[in-house]
Amino acid sequence: MSDEKWTVTFIVFRKKDEQPVRYDTFTLEVSPNEYVLDAVERIWAFHDRSLVFAHACHHSTCGACGMRVNGVERLTCITPIREVTRNGGTVRVEPLRNFPVVSDLAVDMSRLYQAMDVVHAQAVHPLDAAPLEGDGIRPPRQVPQPEEEGEFLRLADCIECGLCVSACPVAGTDPAYLGPAALAGAQLQSIARNPDLLSVVDCAEGVWRCHSAYECTAVCPSNVQPGWRIMDLRRQVVAQRIKALLGQR
Amino acid sequence: MNEPKKLHSRGVLDWFDPRGRQVGGWGFIINRISAIGLTIYLYLHLVMLGKLAQGPEAFDAFIATAKQPLILFGELLVIIAGLYHGLNGIRIALTSFGVAVRYQRALLIAVVLLTAAGSLFFAIRMLSIH
Amino acid sequence: MTKPHAIVIGAGFTGVAIAYDLAQRGFRVSVVERGPIANGTSGRTHGLLHSGARYAVNDQESAIECIQENIILRRIVPDAIEPNGGLFVAVQEEDLAYRDKFIEGCAACGIPIRELTPQEALRLEPNLNPRLLTAFTVPDATFDPLRLALAFAASAKAGGAQFYLYTDVVDLLRDGRGNVCGVKAWNRAADRRFDLLAEVVVNATGAWVGQITAMAGIQVPIAPTPGVMVAYDRRLTQRAINLLNEPGDGDIVLPQRRMMVVGTTSFTIEDPDYVPVYEDHVALMMERGSALIPALRQTRERGAYMATRPLIGGTAPGRSISRTFKAYDHAETDGIDGLVTITGGKATTLRLMAEKTVDVICRKFGMDVPCRTAETPLLSYRKFYL
Ligand SMILES: Cc1cc2nc3c(=O)[nH]c(=O)nc-3n(C[C@H](O)[C@H](O)[C@H](O)COP(=O)(O)OP(=O)(O)OC[C@H]3O[C@@H](n4cnc5c(N)ncnc54)[C@H](O)[C@@H]3O)c2cc1C
Ligand code: HEM
Ligand code: SF4
Ligand code: FES
Repeated sequence: MSDEKWTVTFIVFRKKDEQPVRYDTFTLEVSPNEYVLDAVERIWAFHDRSLVFAHACHHSTCGACGMRVNGVERLTCITPIREVTRNGGTVRVEPLRNFPVVSDLAVDMSRLYQAMDVVHAQAVHPLDAAPLEGDGIRPPRQVPQPEEEGEFLRLADCIECGLCVSACPVAGTDPAYLGPAALAGAQLQSIARNPDLLSVVDCAEGVWRCHSAYECTAVCPSNVQPGWRIMDLRRQVVAQRIKALLGQR
Repeated sequence: MNEPKKLHSRGVLDWFDPRGRQVGGWGFIINRISAIGLTIYLYLHLVMLGKLAQGPEAFDAFIATAKQPLILFGELLVIIAGLYHGLNGIRIALTSFGVAVRYQRALLIAVVLLTAAGSLFFAIRMLSIH
Repeated sequence: MTKPHAIVIGAGFTGVAIAYDLAQRGFRVSVVERGPIANGTSGRTHGLLHSGARYAVNDQESAIECIQENIILRRIVPDAIEPNGGLFVAVQEEDLAYRDKFIEGCAACGIPIRELTPQEALRLEPNLNPRLLTAFTVPDATFDPLRLALAFAASAKAGGAQFYLYTDVVDLLRDGRGNVCGVKAWNRAADRRFDLLAEVVVNATGAWVGQITAMAGIQVPIAPTPGVMVAYDRRLTQRAINLLNEPGDGDIVLPQRRMMVVGTTSFTIEDPDYVPVYEDHVALMMERGSALIPALRQTRERGAYMATRPLIGGTAPGRSISRTFKAYDHAETDGIDGLVTITGGKATTLRLMAEKTVDVICRKFGMDVPCRTAETPLLSYRKFYL
């Protein structure tokens, strides 16, 4: 790799308590291969200790570091600076939308966790619930099963980062909307296997609230494709309702 | 447990802000704008029908104003909005029931292309008639 | 009797596990953490729930702790763990020299292993280096770092613990005799400063413990020792893949969600607040990782990050409650009461570290309450927010 250095100006959203919002600028020397989160952490370490931001794993498995970078929802720990600006350019960093701001870049994601809890979205599920399609590298399509232990389990794709909720225009006007991640969590379990979910998602705050902007799928960093899953869930709901109707006759 | 806190959101304004939105988001925005446009047009249309009820003079006067270029341009907008909104409505109806969701982007592009082609057709016809 | 108040500084693995145990054993608990949960070393760990096999030759005490805690954590935090097992793989002749010691060590520590032929291993994990010489199955697992910490934090909260996040401890409060009686805190989210009084302050700040003890004029010999890890964008195995040899750089390749994560390296630094990720370390991870799994070369880097171990100097005066981690009761080591420092250990042994530390604290208060954290499953991590 290279020792290439860029000078980049970060324009950072700031908010403390009831004080009005302001934007602070910090000019940093960065490597273009560094990730946006690295720069944010450096701003905290060397420029302004009062900066508040959320992060934990730094490799896209925890979902804590979602922010809006130049207006687009990004998982900052895996967004290379190279992708969002150029040498001498700027990067605008703001908190996610559609959640309350705790302070600066950190938001309160209870709404998402609440919704995930309501649909009992599984954090760990059998491998075949979301198969790995492999993309050419000897895909373990028929994944060999561990002999004694039974089925392989896998941490769910959804890392509960909230990017989809932030990008969803409807989530901004309807705080009670379950949101893309939770509906995707419901779809993965399938209503046929888990009939209790039907009443949770077949309502105004569930699948029918979606207005098909597909922003959730566009920003999801973790291959969940919530937009597609919401639509598939609608299909499941209708199928269940029709079945129930026919069954009652 | 926590008292409800204010969402960091501009509410309905975020529906119309195209910055940072992707293809699906633009489709969403234009659908909303075209729907509002069509609703306003529907209102104007009813007003016009009202004129019709007032007798032939009022109607002729109205037709005369309706032939002004600005109004014609407005009519073209209505055609564009109607085409887009209707075609996109079919796209949404399809995807809403799980049909071709993976191709929603391609469908939207098809909607836009068809709208453009249809609008061009009507624009040429309008110009050649007057 | 009113509950004694304990302040825990730091909400990494050590802090949240201690907070949970303290709350269970009848303390009123406040956790003061300068960032969100697990933003320090804990969030950035590699994520291997050790079977202990890695230490079975060189450090059997660690190995035994790991296998025991591994079994407990699988039971009490199932929603943060991919329990798919692991393999130790020999790829070069020199690795085979380690084989006998490995078998012996695992037997001595009670770690169940099974040797596979190369063909069997390749059938289980088709992406392994086809030139492998032998392989052993071990009960490794992958954990999700944030959710492991959150599960403990959620359970602590349910037990009454209060969390002050985005709140720095800026100083220790001292009473007339110089003993520690609380902390001075700065809530950065609201930009508000306040004092918090307590009967005991537990310093669980990992690589930063020295900064806290310095506030009471106490030196602890900690050498912050970071390591680099790299995540690649494709999942190539279902199990954790370890190199069958002495522990070294880049010898563990771990599947996690749709990724493979290779780690790690080791070097010392002065200030753990910000450590850059060095590009030569990143290149080394690819080189070492692809020796075990050649297909790694066809993946793309998804993230590169580092975390800092708090390594303890060998001549540390602290009383060692275990050789694998240290708890200092500063009343004993430095004549300053009210402050307990705990550091070292592994994510895998977080519950045990907490148990031993809270044993020490209970003894200080003359409380005779047994630890129950190994028996009860933790709450879902989501409950931390609800
Ligand atoms: C590279 C690497 C890889 C590892 N991989 C594994 C692995 O695969 N498996 C395994 O079992 N273990 C692993 N470990 C070990 C494990 O990660 C650590 O033992 C564990 O995370 C330490 O947790 P901690 O709570 O002691 O420290 P930390 O997680 O660092 O917690 C300390 C906390 O204190 C806070 N703090 C600091 N100063 C202040 C202050 N003034 N006021 C308030 N709060 C403050 C910090 O913000 C931080 O959150 C690894 C370690 C490293 C370095
Ligand atoms: C060709 C016939 C039409 C079709 C197929 C159609 C389809 C749709 C669909 C599917 C929606 C829902 C969009 C969503 O889920 O977000 C919608 C919304 C709407 N439509 Fe239409 N529509 C048609 C004609 C019209 C006309 C003629 C008007 C006005 C007079 C109109 C006004 C609206 C309004 C106001 C909305 C609500 C705003 C919105 O959700 O976008 N529509 N239409
Ligand atoms: S669905 Fe995707 S964007 Fe939404 S929370 Fe889950 S991982 Fe994040
Ligand atoms: S810090 Fe965990 S996802 Fe980015």
